[in-house]
Amino acid sequence: MLKVKEGNLDKLGLLFERYKKPLFGFFYGLTKDAELCEDLVQNVFFRILKYRYLFRGDGDFKTWMFHIARNVNHDHYRKNKWKLRESIENWEDKLGSFENRATEFQQDEEMQLLSMAMDRLPEEKREILMLSKFQDKKYKEIGEILGCSEGAVKVKVFRALQELKEAYKELEKHL
Amino acid sequence: MEKARIQELISKYNADHASAAEVKEIEQLLESGQIDLDELHEVQKIDRAVAKISFPEPGADLDHRFYQMLALEKGSKSSFSWREFFSWPQLAPKLALASVMLIVGIGIGYLMKPESPANAQLAEVSQQVVDLKEMMMLSMLEKESPTERLKAVSLTSEMNSASQRVTNALLETLNNDENLNVRLAALDALKPYARNGEVREALIRSIANQDSPLVQVALAEMMAQLQVKSSVKELQKILKSDKTPEDVKSRIKQSIDVLI
Repeated sequence: MLKVKEGNLDKLGLLFERYKKPLFGFFYGLTKDAELCEDLVQNVFFRILKYRYLFRGDGDFKTWMFHIARNVNHDHYRKNKWKLRESIENWEDKLGSFENRATEFQQDEEMQLLSMAMDRLPEEKREILMLSKFQDKKYKEIGEILGCSEGAVKVKVFRALQELKEAYKELEKHL
Repeated sequence: MEKARIQELISKYNADHASAAEVKEIEQLLESGQIDLDELHEVQKIDRAVAKISFPEPGADLDHRFYQMLALEKGSKSSFSWREFFSWPQLAPKLALASVMLIVGIGIGYLMKPESPANAQLAEVSQQVVDLKEMMMLSMLEKESPTERLKAVSLTSEMNSASQRVTNALLETLNNDENLNVRLAALDALKPYARNGEVREALIRSIANQDSPLVQVALAEMMAQLQVKSSVKELQKILKSDKTPEDVKSRIKQSIDVLI
């Protein structure tokens, strides 16, 4: 990234190739909308390019990138709040449908159930679980992204996992 | 918290028997770093499952859009942008180079400055005027009239820098002139040259030569003002002398106190 900052823009291609999948996954875990995720990933790299001179180089690039990704996601939802309310019913229908899921990914039943349970979590809990997943459980770095301590991140992850466990059990009962 | 209690909490949680209050305690232990998430098997199981969830991958369209954006940025990079021009990482080396070039330019300009004949002539004339003034002053110092001698002394204040001849003449006047006012004026005229080592030494030696209390006090004050510590010995001699009036002694003592 430091080379990109110095003006070697070709190196951003390498970073894009390395991080596009985790970034896409992060957004997908939050939005479940592949087309939107592509827009958001593009937006993240646009900001990285635009604000490259702000990268200080004293921290991890991935942490900085997820920090931007989080802002991009929040900005998107702030801008599209009214649209979101309109389509929320369709959205829930889509999420609730087993058939859709089964055709969308060829995953086993357990995974589908877990994915559905994830969708039932509030936004911030899904976000912390996605950060934990894509930041490889580096709680200190996640703390830097969220602006809180490592201990506080662990508690947030714990609470999110607890709630996920409950949601999963709840879904299991209805099977 | 005791280790046993922590273990009990962990076991209870893993066996799914932990109460809400105990879960709260576990959260506190997690926050303080006394236990780790890995120890809580129940949440670990689901965490591992989350790690296994696979998501679809981005399509080729994303690649296409990204590389298009990158190409555009590379293209626009060559165009001028004021914001980029004034961003510190860009501006700092430019400023540094500009300063170095300016200094080098001034240096070269100074070295290559032509010595114009008019300037040389002017310098010669002003040197002649200075010499003339010096001669006039030295001859006036020889005059009998104290007023003439005072004028001679005051002439030195018009000189930018006095030669050694002039300072020597002033010192001579300070030590030997019979008129008190002339001696005081000479001392005053010597003040700008007291930073010069020789003049300073001569002034210190002069302290003991003076019999006029006014000159003694003026000398002592000058020494104090210029912080000439080596003059203390000479000043103390005046203090010890019986001839020195008490008022003068107290003034000199003040000056010595300043110096010490």
